[in-house]
Amino acid sequence: MKRLLLLINFLLVATWTMAQVTVTGVVTDASGEAMIGVNVYETGTTNGTTTDLDGKYTLEVKDANSTLTFSYIGMQEQTIDVAGQSTVNLEMRDDSQLLDEVVVTALGFEERKDEMGASSTAINTDAVARSGEAGVINGLSAKASNVRIIRSNGDPGAGSAIRIRGANTISGNGSPLIVVDGVPLGNSTDYGGGNNITGGRTGGVSQQSRLNDINPNDIASMQVLKGASAAALWGSRAANGVIVITTKDGALGKPKISYKASVSFDQITERVPLQDTWGQGRNGSYSPTSAESWGDYIPDRSGAADVVDESGEFFTAADGTVYYPIEEKNSTATFVDSNQDNVFQTGGFVQHDFSISGGSEKASYYFGLGRLDQEGIVKNSDYDRTNVRFNNKMYLADWLTLSTKAAYTLTSSNRIQQNSNTAGLMLGFLRTPPDFDMTDYIGTYTSSSGEEVAGRHRSYRRYLGNAVNPTYNNPLWTINEQTATSNVNRYVINPQITITPVNQLQFILRGSADISDDKRVYFFPISSGGDRSPGIFAEDIIGRQAVNFDAIAKSNFDITGDIGLAATLGWSVNDRRYRRNSGQITGFLVNARKETTSLNTAAESSQFENFKTHRRSNRGYGVLGFDFFDKVFLNLSGNLEASSTISGRFFYPAADVAWQFAENAGPLSFGKIRAAWGRVGVEPAPHRFQTLAEGGFAYSTYSDPIDIALFGGGFRIDDDLGNPNLSPEIKTEWEIGTDLRFLRDKLGVGITYYSNVINDILISVELSPSSGYDTQYGNFGAMKNNGLELDLNWEAYRNSDMKLDVFTNFSRNRNEVTDLFGTETINLTPGASVSSRAIVGYPLGVLFGTGSQTDDAGNYILDENGFPQLTASPEVLGDPNPDWRLGGGLNFSWKGLTLNAVIEHSHGGEFSPRSLWVLRRFGTTQETANRLTLDQDLTNFDGDVIPAGTTVRGNIEDFGAGPVLLDETWYRHGIGGGFGDNQVYNFSIADATFTKIRELSLSYKLGSNLFNEKINGITVGVSTRNWFYWDNIDGIDPEISQTGVGAGQGLEYFTNPATKSLLITLGVDF
Amino acid sequence: MLIFMASCTGLVDGINDNPNDLAIEDVDAALFLTGAQLANIVAQGGHLNRISGMYSGQLVGITSLYSNIYGYALSTAESVSTWSRIYIGVVTNTRHIIREAPDDKLLTGMAKVLEAHAIGTAASLFGDIPYGEINNTEIADPKFDDQMSVLNAVQSLLDGAIEDLSPSASRPLSVDIHFGGNPDAWREVAYTLKARYYLQMKDYTSAYAAALNGISSDVNSMKYVPRGDANNSEGDKNLFWEILEGSRAGDIGTENSYLMQLLDASSGISRNNAKTDEAARFGYYSIESESGAANTGIIEQFEPQNLVSYAENQLILAETGTRTQDAATGLDALNALRAWLNTGAGVNANFQGEPFLYEAYELADFESGGMENADGIATERALLREIIEERYVSGFGMYMPFNDARRLRKDDTDIAVPYVLVDGPAAPYPERMPYSDDELNANENAPDEDPGIFVKTMVNE
Repeated sequence: MKRLLLLINFLLVATWTMAQVTVTGVVTDASGEAMIGVNVYETGTTNGTTTDLDGKYTLEVKDANSTLTFSYIGMQEQTIDVAGQSTVNLEMRDDSQLLDEVVVTALGFEERKDEMGASSTAINTDAVARSGEAGVINGLSAKASNVRIIRSNGDPGAGSAIRIRGANTISGNGSPLIVVDGVPLGNSTDYGGGNNITGGRTGGVSQQSRLNDINPNDIASMQVLKGASAAALWGSRAANGVIVITTKDGALGKPKISYKASVSFDQITERVPLQDTWGQGRNGSYSPTSAESWGDYIPDRSGAADVVDESGEFFTAADGTVYYPIEEKNSTATFVDSNQDNVFQTGGFVQHDFSISGGSEKASYYFGLGRLDQEGIVKNSDYDRTNVRFNNKMYLADWLTLSTKAAYTLTSSNRIQQNSNTAGLMLGFLRTPPDFDMTDYIGTYTSSSGEEVAGRHRSYRRYLGNAVNPTYNNPLWTINEQTATSNVNRYVINPQITITPVNQLQFILRGSADISDDKRVYFFPISSGGDRSPGIFAEDIIGRQAVNFDAIAKSNFDITGDIGLAATLGWSVNDRRYRRNSGQITGFLVNARKETTSLNTAAESSQFENFKTHRRSNRGYGVLGFDFFDKVFLNLSGNLEASSTISGRFFYPAADVAWQFAENAGPLSFGKIRAAWGRVGVEPAPHRFQTLAEGGFAYSTYSDPIDIALFGGGFRIDDDLGNPNLSPEIKTEWEIGTDLRFLRDKLGVGITYYSNVINDILISVELSPSSGYDTQYGNFGAMKNNGLELDLNWEAYRNSDMKLDVFTNFSRNRNEVTDLFGTETINLTPGASVSSRAIVGYPLGVLFGTGSQTDDAGNYILDENGFPQLTASPEVLGDPNPDWRLGGGLNFSWKGLTLNAVIEHSHGGEFSPRSLWVLRRFGTTQETANRLTLDQDLTNFDGDVIPAGTTVRGNIEDFGAGPVLLDETWYRHGIGGGFGDNQVYNFSIADATFTKIRELSLSYKLGSNLFNEKINGITVGVSTRNWFYWDNIDGIDPEISQTGVGAGQGLEYFTNPATKSLLITLGVDF
Repeated sequence: MLIFMASCTGLVDGINDNPNDLAIEDVDAALFLTGAQLANIVAQGGHLNRISGMYSGQLVGITSLYSNIYGYALSTAESVSTWSRIYIGVVTNTRHIIREAPDDKLLTGMAKVLEAHAIGTAASLFGDIPYGEINNTEIADPKFDDQMSVLNAVQSLLDGAIEDLSPSASRPLSVDIHFGGNPDAWREVAYTLKARYYLQMKDYTSAYAAALNGISSDVNSMKYVPRGDANNSEGDKNLFWEILEGSRAGDIGTENSYLMQLLDASSGISRNNAKTDEAARFGYYSIESESGAANTGIIEQFEPQNLVSYAENQLILAETGTRTQDAATGLDALNALRAWLNTGAGVNANFQGEPFLYEAYELADFESGGMENADGIATERALLREIIEERYVSGFGMYMPFNDARRLRKDDTDIAVPYVLVDGPAAPYPERMPYSDDELNANENAPDEDPGIFVKTMVNE
């Protein structure tokens, strides 16, 4: 420390003692425009200045033999000998070449990639903005190795999970930390209270990821720090990696105005193939109230009008159509296509982006305004987003800069109920028989005694609307009568003061506030499906607040001529609060659509719940970066963290080293070997230290609950034992890698191998009940990952007119849960018959459920009829993690024409499309519609022998003991289709491999300086998003996820479908 | 060093206190009582109770889970809920009350009775169970104690309760859903429980002595009394009604069980005689399994469920009086109960209009050739046989018939009720309930696997 002070002292003194020759000049960019704010200093000293509005500088240097260094962010640093001249003009060169690539570190500072020992991948932000995705997260797909985007579905605004280098936690937050302009940005996906109305995360509506509040067009750079070493400064929030985002600053010069409009046309990617030959009913007979479509053969009907009973009850639709009880079904009409068209549409969005940027020597500014209006492919679903951003930087003095970045986002959307939820869309839609016309979904029911009930719901199981509960929703009710809106206001402001007393020393004071309120309204009118049939109006008001303060000191100096040191010391306080107020009115007295508590003012019909969290961390950190002979770079960092959620403090060390072993050695123009080691964590959930007094509970032994609320209220000691000794989950990772460039830097290759262990994983374990408690949350698990990453960039061709760049990235990750302290399995997706679980010895998230009995050789142990038999207990059915993934693309331009393509391939892994499995029971899919005449006697699942010559509905299958007939006995009431824990779910598992052309775009830029130089350029483009794709599951996109954003994956259950788009864009630069 | 100073914990202290739920110390100890009572109610009158009813010829498992269990396919998973209600729902909370309000003798007395009731039931159902080391934050895996030592500890606990529950401790207490804070009623319950467990330990002398101070009238019977809105189908209703009114309709009922045949005048084994008409009780006990709502008798939605009853105490007096005093003492106790039954108290208002008769027996009725001794056994044995049969009938809905069957199987088969499981498996009949799957999995001191339901527990060996 003493030595450091001496050095600083020396440097300060040195500044005052020299100045003999005056040099002036003008600095311009490649187009000849003057550059403002370029740093010009006498090489090796702190003597320097910056260029003015006209690009001019004047500097007094020691003597005529001095050298000058010119530097500017995004430009190559250049050193020029004065060589006796009094004027030194310079043209700065673009830094876009691979040489001297700049990366942004975890603290938001720029460093040269070639000097870093930890792997870091830059995302092409133009490609993200161009991806055609409405949200930035989905735009990251295929852009970098080992950055995996797991989508929920194609709903407008639906959240997605980002997973870097596989799974790093079981119950904790699995998303990377997002650092925007040096401070963390909240990226939660909250399921809130409203989803509980429909059974929690596996039901309900899709929720949003808050990172999508950022406008992709405001992003200047994006960096993914995957490894523990690069992220260690963020300690307990960094186990899943860090994505560092920098928003745009004003470019110096006259105001640049640009406007871009995009129009997207979205369609459903895959439709479940539905049959139109078999009617509603069972056992080959028509029934108009049956759940299933195992009824009669529709072409065999007479085709006459249905015979109805007009003497009793009936239903009058909104348009006056009257439905009577059907006595004999004669009509051969089917409605598969019209039903589909009633629900789905060509959705899409219109996006406007407007920005003004510029700057003078005193200040620079960027103003961005964006507006997105999206309509989903499901009618009435939408997502609108308005972004306003103002970034400004003021150079108050040579030594003082003040910058403020402020953004406001308003999003509003209406979501459609989905998943395992009788009031959900796809559940009612895909189960609808082909001979049911869903058009008339609402009307008046008249009973046989003449009593009329208005506002009744007509569904395929209650086609007369003769019950308040329709059993399953008519899809038109789901989209037209139920609403689930969300409105989010979000403000993010980051002021920063940079003080540079001398060239080698900098103090940075950085604050931020990230505040949002999220209002969600759920409305189920009377006669909505299931428990909602009395009517439910619920509201969640969610408030989030994150405040951050950092004080950082940075210094660079040479210890000796050959050894340089960059030291950073920082202190940070981060404070996060979350608050949710949920209110609910159940059972409406009035059958109205107005969202008001007046629908039922009885005290017992209303509920109120309040939930809060608060956490704070306090960190001190330091980084020492050594530079030996400009060849070897060593970084040591440490972060000591005290956090409200852990007991005591925790230290996160990291080290990385890079050795530039080759420069211009034959075809190898640059070679670097790097190694890194680091430790990062996952913080415990807040407020888990204490054992609490729990109010509101019910006791049951078997379907016989007794509820304390009905016995005057009261408390119990929470059966979840508090744990005052919580510590973070600790991931320790090492990685080695190399960055190589060939052919005069035209071809760049980065390879990284990493391996990590994660100890003290936080999970809830079951205690011995006789100890007095049921469960305890604590550090009770361990896991490991290893993997390989390869990134390749190739400037394949470049001349003044034409340019072709190609990139590709490959990744694989192997995960294994190594210890759960005696807990056998942890269910990550409670409520699903096929679940995604943590099990020791398997990768996190394995699919688990009942399957078929097999012998040691893997052959099915068949029953006497030749059919598989159910396993006694659930078992591992598959692994949803892909074996490896490949991303790639090309950018081609020729004069004004640009062609971009991005492709992603995900190989292997398994997926359980449970909709398709359950639909076998319902008999609505083509899989169940086969009609054939047997040419041999065949046995069905019930053991009945069906003689040759019989025409049957079914398929022939051979499980190993000769052909058997899969008919209604197998699909509907056997073990080969349906719900619950008694199904051979091994047959429901499908290969999740897919290939998607994420982007294929063509654009043309019409010259420059058009219309008397008023317009700098006009760009028109057309592109596709996910339009071309290949997967192995007919009707279901394996990229969707029933359980949304979380640790569970590989499941689907009547989840809203994915989308693909065609886009047209128009851009104008003034 | 700077880093160390910067990251001080002072800035983050206290923030992790839970802002949503109350801390235990914020809540008055009395407010934990109702929850413990509810947990005890489901442990005494819930799933394992219904299973014990099936295994003693009173109930019949008709379909789904209950028919599997009726056929002895009883897994350790079925004990999870009851075990948890006893150890977590009852004991964790009663121990807290005793620890936090040691000077509130009414509260501690009630808490001790509840714990003794729950633990005593556990010992009698499962055999050896954890007790001495339970509810100790230092011990994650309590060891299992032998059944006899647990029952002895329960006796001491009840002695402590009786001491606490002096009449002077009386005050109105709304959180006590059984007796509203009446120490006299609680003290009587404590004595009846002592008698119950002495009976199980076959210490008939002590049982008699305890029962003399036990429940003296039906008002002081400890019952679960359902309440609330008739339209509300669960949460505060008769537990049996709830399961049939919900998704388990049709799964379990009385059907033509041995118990129902005993009551049915037309069956070959009817207990009706010149002094006894069980027509009303037959109707009252019949469970319509298709739904809860179809029932107006013993499982009607508001019908109370007996936990510790006047009839039980009276019949302990009758049995142990006969065994340890003389037949006349026993007979007096039995006749007192019959006199009470003869007021129509054994059925609810819906069945009091149906015929019933419980005339006093005379000793002659049990002498060889008497109306209750056609097979000519010893008078006292014949009397005991009648008393045990009355326990079998009056104990419907409690563990008493299952406990008696196991108790009497060793030396008293001549007086035991010779029940069969109608449409179910033949003897041997189960001797215990399996341990909770959760306890077996989590507790290192638990047996590797459950010994099985046919292994006799210590007191019945």
